[in-house]
Amino acid sequence: MSRILARRRRLVRDLFLSLQLLAAHPLRTALSISGLLVGGAAVIVMVAVGEGAERKVIEKVRAMGTNLLVVSAAPAPRVLGRPRQAPTSTLLRVEDAAAIAEESVLAVAAAAAVIKPVVVRSGGLNTSTTLIGTSPDGLRIRNIGAASGRLFDDEDDRGQRRVALLGPTVARNLFQGVDPVGRAIRLGSVPFEVIGVTRPLGTDTGGVDRDDQVVVPLATAMRRVLNIPFVHAVFVQSRSSADLERLEREVRDILHRRLAARSGTADPFVIQNQAVLLRTERGAARAMNRLVAGVIVLALLVGGAGLVTVMLMSVRERTREIGLRRALGAKRRDIRLQFVLESGILAAAGGAAGVIAGMAAAAAAAAFGRWDLIVSWRVALLGFACSTLLGLALGTLPAARAARLEPSAALRAP
Amino acid sequence: MIEMDALTKSYRKGAAVTEVLKGVTLRIRQGEFVAVMGRSGSGKSTLLNILGLLDRPDGGLYRLDGTDFSTATDDALSAARNRKIGFVFQQFHLLERASALRNVTLPLLYADDEPDDGTERAKQALAAVGLSDRTHHLPNELSGGEQQRVAIARALINRPSLILADEPTGNLDERAGVEILEIFRRLAGEGRTIVLVTHDASIASRADRTVLLIDGRIADGPGAARAAGLLGDPVAHE
Repeated sequence: MSRILARRRRLVRDLFLSLQLLAAHPLRTALSISGLLVGGAAVIVMVAVGEGAERKVIEKVRAMGTNLLVVSAAPAPRVLGRPRQAPTSTLLRVEDAAAIAEESVLAVAAAAAVIKPVVVRSGGLNTSTTLIGTSPDGLRIRNIGAASGRLFDDEDDRGQRRVALLGPTVARNLFQGVDPVGRAIRLGSVPFEVIGVTRPLGTDTGGVDRDDQVVVPLATAMRRVLNIPFVHAVFVQSRSSADLERLEREVRDILHRRLAARSGTADPFVIQNQAVLLRTERGAARAMNRLVAGVIVLALLVGGAGLVTVMLMSVRERTREIGLRRALGAKRRDIRLQFVLESGILAAAGGAAGVIAGMAAAAAAAAFGRWDLIVSWRVALLGFACSTLLGLALGTLPAARAARLEPSAALRAP
Repeated sequence: MIEMDALTKSYRKGAAVTEVLKGVTLRIRQGEFVAVMGRSGSGKSTLLNILGLLDRPDGGLYRLDGTDFSTATDDALSAARNRKIGFVFQQFHLLERASALRNVTLPLLYADDEPDDGTERAKQALAAVGLSDRTHHLPNELSGGEQQRVAIARALINRPSLILADEPTGNLDERAGVEILEIFRRLAGEGRTIVLVTHDASIASRADRTVLLIDGRIADGPGAARAAGLLGDPVAHE
């Protein structure tokens, strides 16, 4: 065993000579590793993009709250030949939110909300947006904070005060850079005072701009703007995202009981589970990543083909050297090992260059583009390992050819 | 040392089979300096390849140091070449980017037991061929005769009992050729067996004995050589 190890050590020492040979053909050596360089760089850039996308999902999750169920009034059933009274079921009430908050074990908080398209005016400008009426609890559940000005409180809600929070998109469309806090707007025909601008929330999983909205106290929206006795949605927050499925069942039970007692109608609501939506989105991102991984494998294989070509060329050129080594006592496996190690060194050089190129490309993309890239040492190592291992694996091909040469014929090679 | 009986070897090229050795019988004693002579195509190279365990015979018997290698594995042949045989080639076959010293130590790389004093031994081998002052020179910094002496030092490093030389003076001028032959003479005097292949009668005449190979068969003695018209025809084509 130690004898074999000693032999291997000597062969590794002999690599020095091979390296000198590679250095003697700098252009060819560079060419052979360029493919793996590109492959390795591609690994790094694509994984960085993937991790960037993953982080975006996580941020989105954080922004909207993963621990969220949205109970919406179902679209109202249409009775044939009769005009529809309201687009959605009118059975959900403010008290249902309170009941969920009280009766549910898993819910931390629940808040009712009304949601309706509305035209906002200020001065000569107007814009179509979404009106959301909810309680201060609803603001907390939906992660709505003030970027400037203040949020409304229970006092504003109870007093049905006409105070409004503008989403950044609405503020921009309506006030075009001027601070809107303290300014007057009209929601429909009802005058409001802008008391704050909300922090940016980005888009939700459905791609809807969550910053294109006006948020007012629930009571104000119900009595003064919409004049309706029912609500469109109830936001329910759970302690953790792990509880969401159980919470969904619990909320369904509570509402079934309450709504059945009220009207006898079955299921006039739908429950949206944010965790499920996010899981779907993340799954889509992963599927994309797998596709990208396939492309990378292809790129690496093309790079590897270049390496194999150059190594085969090297074997052909050094046929007499191989014959000599065989005559001097080299076994087939010694020759094989020599060429595999040479390929490995080339591939490692290509991989290292690829890491540098990939990190540079990722940094450039992150600096100048809108891509969100994360380059971690884990990714760099992965890129390097991919190139090197591939080089070693593909190196066995020319190495096998070198080892197959018959010594007497190899010595006579031109 | 070397026993060959009715050795045959054919090469197949497509459907055509060429019989190169047609029953070679040959005995070479330890410490003998033997020249194998023959025209181009007479089977010299094939015989040398078989003697050097680079190729296997199709039929007949070949024993080196009493060992029959006809059923030996490829690895066993490699090991035997490393331990028992030193090769000297017409084209020297030195690694261009390695110093004289590194070239000489190359066979140690493939030895089962690497001697601790490998470098020391290589220096001694180079000294034995008169190249003590050339250890760190690259082959292209050496004359042809010096390069061939490096190759001889390389052949000696594992202290083989048999040295096989294939036209060792073929690429050298006369003076350098004579020097090389002197070295072989001396090695034979030290008890090493030398088998030298050549088509040049003046070189063959420096050996203890000349074995003549004609059309795949051995014709022994100078009479046979004269009969074959080989003597006095030193510029055969190889």
